[in-house]
Amino acid sequence: MNDKNKDTNKLLKRPLRRRELIKGGLAGTALIAGSGIFAPRIIRAAGGSITIGSFQDNAMAPFRDYFVKQFASETGIAVNYNETNYDSWYQSCKNDGLNKTGAYDIYVMDDNWVPEFAAGHIVKSLDQLGFKVNADILPKGLEMGLWPPKTGARMKDFASAKPELYSIVIIDDVEILYYHADHFPTVPETWDDISKVAQTTKAPDMYGWSPRGVKGNPIMMTYLPLLNSYGGNFVNEDWTPGFAGPEGVGALSRLFSFIPYMPAGVAEYDTDQEVQLMLEGKCTALTEYTGFAQRVDDPASSKVVGKIKMATTPKQAKHGPAIGTFIASVSSGSKNPEGAVQFLEWFTSSKVQLEFARKYGGAAVTGSALTDAEAVQKHRWLPAIAEAVNTSVQKPRTPDEPKMEDILGTALNEALVEAIATKSNYDAIAQKHLQTAAGQITDYLKQQGGYF
Amino acid sequence: MEERESRVQRQRAAAVPYLLLLPALLALAAISLYPTVDGVLASLHRYRYGLDMGFTGGDNFAAVYIDPVFWKAIGTTTWFVILAVAIETLLGLLLALVVARELRFSGLIRVTLILPMTIAPVVVGVIWRLLYASDIGVVNPLFELFGFEAPNVLAHPLTAFLGLIAVDVWEWTPLLFLIILAGLHSLPQDPIEAARVDGASAIQAFFHHTLPLLRPVLLVAVVLRTIDAVGTFDQIYVLTKGGPGTATQLISIYAYNTAFLFNQYGRAMAMLIGLLACLLLLMAAAVHFMRRSSEIVE
Repeated sequence: MNDKNKDTNKLLKRPLRRRELIKGGLAGTALIAGSGIFAPRIIRAAGGSITIGSFQDNAMAPFRDYFVKQFASETGIAVNYNETNYDSWYQSCKNDGLNKTGAYDIYVMDDNWVPEFAAGHIVKSLDQLGFKVNADILPKGLEMGLWPPKTGARMKDFASAKPELYSIVIIDDVEILYYHADHFPTVPETWDDISKVAQTTKAPDMYGWSPRGVKGNPIMMTYLPLLNSYGGNFVNEDWTPGFAGPEGVGALSRLFSFIPYMPAGVAEYDTDQEVQLMLEGKCTALTEYTGFAQRVDDPASSKVVGKIKMATTPKQAKHGPAIGTFIASVSSGSKNPEGAVQFLEWFTSSKVQLEFARKYGGAAVTGSALTDAEAVQKHRWLPAIAEAVNTSVQKPRTPDEPKMEDILGTALNEALVEAIATKSNYDAIAQKHLQTAAGQITDYLKQQGGYF
Repeated sequence: MEERESRVQRQRAAAVPYLLLLPALLALAAISLYPTVDGVLASLHRYRYGLDMGFTGGDNFAAVYIDPVFWKAIGTTTWFVILAVAIETLLGLLLALVVARELRFSGLIRVTLILPMTIAPVVVGVIWRLLYASDIGVVNPLFELFGFEAPNVLAHPLTAFLGLIAVDVWEWTPLLFLIILAGLHSLPQDPIEAARVDGASAIQAFFHHTLPLLRPVLLVAVVLRTIDAVGTFDQIYVLTKGGPGTATQLISIYAYNTAFLFNQYGRAMAMLIGLLACLLLLMAAAVHFMRRSSEIVE
């Protein structure tokens, strides 16, 4: 029996699964007996308190400081809110869910945790809890909470399984283009438009592009919008790497073509350095997540108030921004799943999302909020978020995605260092490093089992 | 009757030391033995989707053995430890020799030297990240001031690696300095003074008397520092996260990522168990060497 079959059997035979079935059966019987209809109305009779856990992030401030209290005052359900740093929270909620301690009812998560948390039953299926999805939620954001994924490559263990909603998007974070309006008279549509303006800049007074170059996730976030826009894929439907062909090489060579117009130390640039250049008015364009939009007009940190505009990331063959939503699930050990579901339905409702967009300019998850005239007038980046989400491309949906990202992200960083040093042969450098990464990723997936 | 009572009393008295040791032994078992045993067990299991999928024998060790990134990390760690510990030992010895002479500002020098060691490693990482930063740092302008090209320390594999060694040397030379200084103060002065009276120069006295007498102290210092240097994590995580590429990826960083980022807990444990075995062998050899050299000195 191979590893894949072993894992599948163990997943299917787990006592947890049986307990869940029994619990689900009892709950279902109670619901039918209590309500007389199939819809889980008992959920509406929730009360008591819920505990939400999250990682620290500025984007969560309105959620934490306003909406949690608003929900409590509207429903009478007390809400405890705890947050810690990203790495600690990932381990804490994973342990909490695996051991069903019930310390938390809702986990606020990064969307790339969903495959592991759903497949490992660390979180409950929202479908099985009777969660009602707001039809106004943008489909691409909603898809991030499905397991197995609705589209894209699927692991063999879950090839025929029906996608279930395990997590619900609460902030539609996505990469968008930020550009300096003084340098771009019209919205830059393509990478050629960005390149033309870059060629007019003179470093170090003005840079034509500011990327994140640090190995791993940072440089991946620079590369993915390029790769997707050139028609490449992180992985194809059959899990073969989709970045080592002409599309991937073309995308990386395009990034290298900006080297004369980028800071010399970009290989060590992460978000803080990348955005600082734009805030100082020393950069014409960059791609970054939506959280940066809140800072460009803050006079305390920005010298370019009102001058930075936003659009979806540029296209070559197509647009392809990377999506990375904030997403929430009900913990497997939740003591008040009804209250948790009620909270998540409330927060993702069109009314609350409209308030989120109007009051805070947040990356709301509903189409109506992101296109609302009043919200857009106050927060000009909202339409760009909507367009970017609608054209976004998700990363591979597998628990092994972080390792795949590390392999490719390391190769990209090595390629960037080499390209900066040699300042020539960009295609050859790109080809060499991308092919190495493709081989390493394929070897790793074969070793893990369950892909080919 | 009296004989029996006295025997019981003797037995009780003999048991007292063990009872007094019991809390410490329990604490040791809880914080040291249990995690080690748990780690060994984990290295024999496969983890998937956050779940323990069962016993897999030596699969994790086999996977680690054929993992080129692991061997690259081992190589990087080895070079890092050799270079950092060697420089720290030399500098620590030099500084200790200077301060041991009780010059006018010895007290001030001593306090100043110890300061870096008192700062939390993660804070050290943040401080040096700011110093090395290519945009707002002070290292680039310093090089340019003297007519050199800005090195962008953290953006190139070699400079990033050397930059990390510099940070480690800055932080941990004081430890070597303190240990060696204590050793110098405890050395018997008679043989050294006798050598000087017999006409030996200061350098001859150092190499023929001070250094051989100091050897056990140096060995203890090097062994302690080596163990610590192998586990260096915080500064590297803050400064480079193991990059550029894998140029500064020590085994501690790779094992951490394997366990907590790639969710390969069993494989990470296999790496660390293998590393622990190598370190134990190294330490056993060092202790053996120390004993022998002590015997020779005596």
